[in-house]
Amino acid sequence: MKPVWLIAGNFVREQRWPIVILLGWVALLSAAAGFSDLRRSPDDVFMMFQQVAVYILVFSLFFGASAIRNELRTRRILAVLSKGISRRQYIAGLLLGIVTAVVVYCLALGAAGSWVLPQAGVPAARFWFLLLGLLTASLLTACLALFFSIFLHPLLATGATMVSVGVPLLLAAVWKSPWAAVIPVYAILQGFLDLSGHDVALRGWMVLLAWGETGVLWLASAWLFSWKDVAVAVE
Amino acid sequence: MAAVLEFEEVSKHYGGWLSRRPPVRALDNFSLQVEAGEIFGFLGPNGAGKTTAIHLALGFMRANSGRGRMLGRPFGEARTRRRVGFLAENVALYHRPALHLVQFYGALNGMGGTRLRQRARDVLELVNLGSDAERNVAAFSRGMLQRIGLAQALVNDPELLILDEPTSALDPIARVVIRELLLRLKREGKTVFLSSHLLSEVELVCDRVGVMHQGRLARLGKTADLLHSREQTQVVARGIAAGAFPGAVASDGVVSFIIATASQRQVLEQIWKLGGEVVSVNPLKRSLEQIFLEVTQARGEGA
Repeated sequence: MKPVWLIAGNFVREQRWPIVILLGWVALLSAAAGFSDLRRSPDDVFMMFQQVAVYILVFSLFFGASAIRNELRTRRILAVLSKGISRRQYIAGLLLGIVTAVVVYCLALGAAGSWVLPQAGVPAARFWFLLLGLLTASLLTACLALFFSIFLHPLLATGATMVSVGVPLLLAAVWKSPWAAVIPVYAILQGFLDLSGHDVALRGWMVLLAWGETGVLWLASAWLFSWKDVAVAVE
Repeated sequence: MAAVLEFEEVSKHYGGWLSRRPPVRALDNFSLQVEAGEIFGFLGPNGAGKTTAIHLALGFMRANSGRGRMLGRPFGEARTRRRVGFLAENVALYHRPALHLVQFYGALNGMGGTRLRQRARDVLELVNLGSDAERNVAAFSRGMLQRIGLAQALVNDPELLILDEPTSALDPIARVVIRELLLRLKREGKTVFLSSHLLSEVELVCDRVGVMHQGRLARLGKTADLLHSREQTQVVARGIAAGAFPGAVASDGVVSFIIATASQRQVLEQIWKLGGEVVSVNPLKRSLEQIFLEVTQARGEGA
């Protein structure tokens, strides 16, 4: 387990500037919401929190799609994989690094929300539950992107992830069927976006499903990555 | 002696129908055994397959056919790599203080605590970077990067050290330091697999040498055996005319020339018949560079 934590810590360290920028953005928006007249207009506060929540999903997508490629391009991966670390541990480390970044962001968002949202009439406890959903959706998105990035260019991996997340949603909208639960990123995110807390049982079930899918994707990524030639330079 | 690194009819090719690159056969039924406790020199021109062989051993890629073992285990096992040190040709490391960096790579090999901290300091001293331990490697020169790369390869006190061009960016003083270090590791019973273009370095430290060409092992043997020709002998004589033997050169009162070893007895008798005196008879000593060129050119012509 130690190598996994080391890879995760290293990932966070390497991505510290995007993470700091995200945290700065949360601080800026919550300050704007908390100290201005915005708290008197709850809709504006909601919109602001929805916006910053979606940012982390987008960042998770980019983190996942570019994590392996960056290491291959710089060839830093060779020194790492020449040590006593398996490919499965390496992938787990990258995912844990993304989770750590998302958790830090969610904690900052949670702290800001706990201060600002009650002033707009939203209970803080409900917000923390919804943050768990946001974390799950972000992790599943990152894991999908990481999986595709093993055999696709990061841009194509990003596209493939967006299609994988979007198609079930489209099918659900067209046929009014439970397709949205196939890859439930949007379905979980919806709970956050409307800050409703409705259908908690259904969303709880989807959160569990998403964690299961994340586990399967991690195993599939690790298996696929174990066949990847990491020594060939990518440009 | 037990083999610590074995390649058994390993073939590896790049490219193919899904790739934009034309297919390249990097290794072609390549077999080699590196024995415990030796410094093995792995030579060959660019594209000969040296780095591919190293990458296969470390599990960075898989062979198309054949098999290999490192420290008695099949290639690619993470647990085996804990006992191996590796320095890549182009050193690429994370940007952080040198000491932290070496500790990070040591920790990836399962090390920790005071032992790791002490070992990291020790290996930095070994490669003459002790005074730069707190400096960020982003500010290091290429030579310093190569030395920090060597430090991270040594941090786990490896049984097998695989070095891909370890001295290419080093100044002469640093090269001497690394050479001494390799000889010290050999005295400690470690095995060193050294891929290098610096033939003079290889000649000085390696027990055995293998010369790769076009994915195959073109020449293999003890360094001393390879450097001393069995087929040709150099004769130095006094008291004879330079024209007495084809190719003879007169200098400082002696005449020297090269003969086929098989005709040695006959030539010596001829010198005595001419009233000359034999000064020395030695197997022809060639440089590794000559052998290298001989192998690569002969194969190139044959291809």
